[in-house]
Amino acid sequence: MTSAEAGFKSRAASALADERLKLAIERTAGTAERKRAAAVDEFPEFAEARARGRRIKDHVIAHLAHYLRLFEENAKASGAKVHWARTSEEACKIVVDLCRQAGAKHVTRAKSMLGEEIGLPHALLDAGIERVETDLAEHIVQLADETPSHIVWPAMHKTREEVVELFQDKHKQAPKGGEVEDLVASARRDLREKFMSADVGISGANFLIADTGAVCTVTNEGNAELTTTPPRMHIVTAGIEKLVPSMEHAFVLLRLLVRSATGGDFTQYTTFHCGPKRQRDADGPEEFHIVLVDNGRTKMLQEGLQAMLRCIRCGACMNHCVVYRQIGGHAYGATYPGPMGSVLTPALDGLAKSRDLPHACTLNGKCAEVCPVEIPLPTLLRGWRDRSWREGLEAGTTRGGMKIWAFVASRPALYHLGNRLAVFGLRLLGRRGWIKRLPFVGAWTDHRDFPAPRRQTFMQAYKKRRSGR
Amino acid sequence: MSNARSAIFQAIERAHGTEETSADQIAEDARNLITDPATARPAITADDPIDAFIERATGPKVGASVDRIDDLNALPAKIAKWLDESGRPLQVALQPTADLTGLDWTGAGITLTNDVDDKVAVGLARFCIAETGSLVFHSAADMPILLNFLPAVHIVAIRASTILSHLEDYADAARAAGNPTPRNACLITGASGTTDIEGRLVKGAHGPGELKIVVVDDR
Repeated sequence: MTSAEAGFKSRAASALADERLKLAIERTAGTAERKRAAAVDEFPEFAEARARGRRIKDHVIAHLAHYLRLFEENAKASGAKVHWARTSEEACKIVVDLCRQAGAKHVTRAKSMLGEEIGLPHALLDAGIERVETDLAEHIVQLADETPSHIVWPAMHKTREEVVELFQDKHKQAPKGGEVEDLVASARRDLREKFMSADVGISGANFLIADTGAVCTVTNEGNAELTTTPPRMHIVTAGIEKLVPSMEHAFVLLRLLVRSATGGDFTQYTTFHCGPKRQRDADGPEEFHIVLVDNGRTKMLQEGLQAMLRCIRCGACMNHCVVYRQIGGHAYGATYPGPMGSVLTPALDGLAKSRDLPHACTLNGKCAEVCPVEIPLPTLLRGWRDRSWREGLEAGTTRGGMKIWAFVASRPALYHLGNRLAVFGLRLLGRRGWIKRLPFVGAWTDHRDFPAPRRQTFMQAYKKRRSGR
Repeated sequence: MSNARSAIFQAIERAHGTEETSADQIAEDARNLITDPATARPAITADDPIDAFIERATGPKVGASVDRIDDLNALPAKIAKWLDESGRPLQVALQPTADLTGLDWTGAGITLTNDVDDKVAVGLARFCIAETGSLVFHSAADMPILLNFLPAVHIVAIRASTILSHLEDYADAARAAGNPTPRNACLITGASGTTDIEGRLVKGAHGPGELKIVVVDDR
């Protein structure tokens, strides 16, 4: 067993034992699941929109170099500075250098999963730059010194009661009461002056619009615009797969994104940012920088993971995942949890470190069913399992077991004999059709009974029926 | 980081081979992906765009309040009445656009202020979208973006003639209106809200907690 595997298994085991965590996850993911279903029901054109969304992303990925050049050209024409980063280290260095150039002491940041992926919070900390997370959930996660556990609701793992305690401890002025309203008001109070006094605002991008060079951000809180407008400098960090040809294409995807993420129809604040403040503009940043980040994406193109580059980060796959709903996001031990994370993490961090993630899946297909851009997540997860086997990353016991099974299964007489013996043995252990304890599979029987087999093996019953005819 | 730039393009080329499709062909393919948009977007049931917009904006998903007036000149009195009824001081921060600053606010008993923070702000939307109930603002000398985000109450006047049917119609209108593209095009759809704590919706997260729309029937 590798240490990463041990890490995942022990994290999953403690998450499973945490009843409070399950309560917290159910409160948010359960609501999200119901609201998404209702929103899709109210949108009979969803299936066609979804097919279009997929085709748009496929088209962009197939012509990625063209769209990157077009976007760069138009962004530059709008006055933006475009930077390129191959790796997370390069991306962080560019952002930190820009912050230093701006003489930044503190920066505000609007939630961006790419920022988490490249480790920007740590890079800013190491550079001695104070970082203020402005999305409410990211604010909670920052105060608690944790990492996000969901890509849309980073603080999904926290109950209201825990947030009350946290805010009482960390806010200048404690929340007035224990209701969610009191907590939201308290965060609003605490963050308002920080928005206005930040030196640099950092955001991600939901879409990069190739034909104008604009960057689209969506929030429901309004924290993106409050992050990007007051400071002198706005820095965008974006994955190179975020491109779309035009605003119309973005709208097709936005209709899918919002319904799939929160069950809303449209985000409260959808903003297209195009270049720095114009000469006569009343407000806005003097400098506008866009950092385009590869960090494994071109490798995904080369390795047959194009379909994963369609992902628009809605989080529906995790909201509907039976495994995620039981263990939450932190157990995955990666930036991106759930089904999409289990496909992305091996690509970003290497399969050797994360081979257990594609295994933490029942292949029930629910994620692919709800994915707004039709990513075949179970197929991609099976692809990682296959590769893990071929690269010899599977545990010795698994490999040995499979060898024994293959030996027996390719010898029908031996196989049938084995089956008969197993049925006989299991029936000896059974009481009233159930087995309470089984050697070697304690992990199963510790928590649930195992069904005792019928009197005959399948082949015995089959032969009997045939001869009886 | 021009090294990084060329390395990224090389990596893409290794995966895809050299791009053989012409830029014109790619542009045409892109356009073909969005033809016949009606098949992939929600239909609008009301015949009158004003009704469609109001239905959407006042519906549960947007949750704004909507009043109607016949003439923009009636706006100060309408707002004064509401401020008075809701027990607020008769004071607003105004978007510095001639259409609004030229109205008779003092006559309606309203004092103007520059203090937007957690107060009441009044703006005039550039466009509105019936499909989503969105209000659109383009940054400009007379449109400070923060005016939409700092107040506690955001009051927005809209002209009925600027109501568009779907998001795609806005994309067309934006293209027609703007060269250069505005620095910020904000589509605002309801008051600020969050579901970050236990999935429960609470209004007034960072932006305005209340959105009031006044439709001016200028047709």
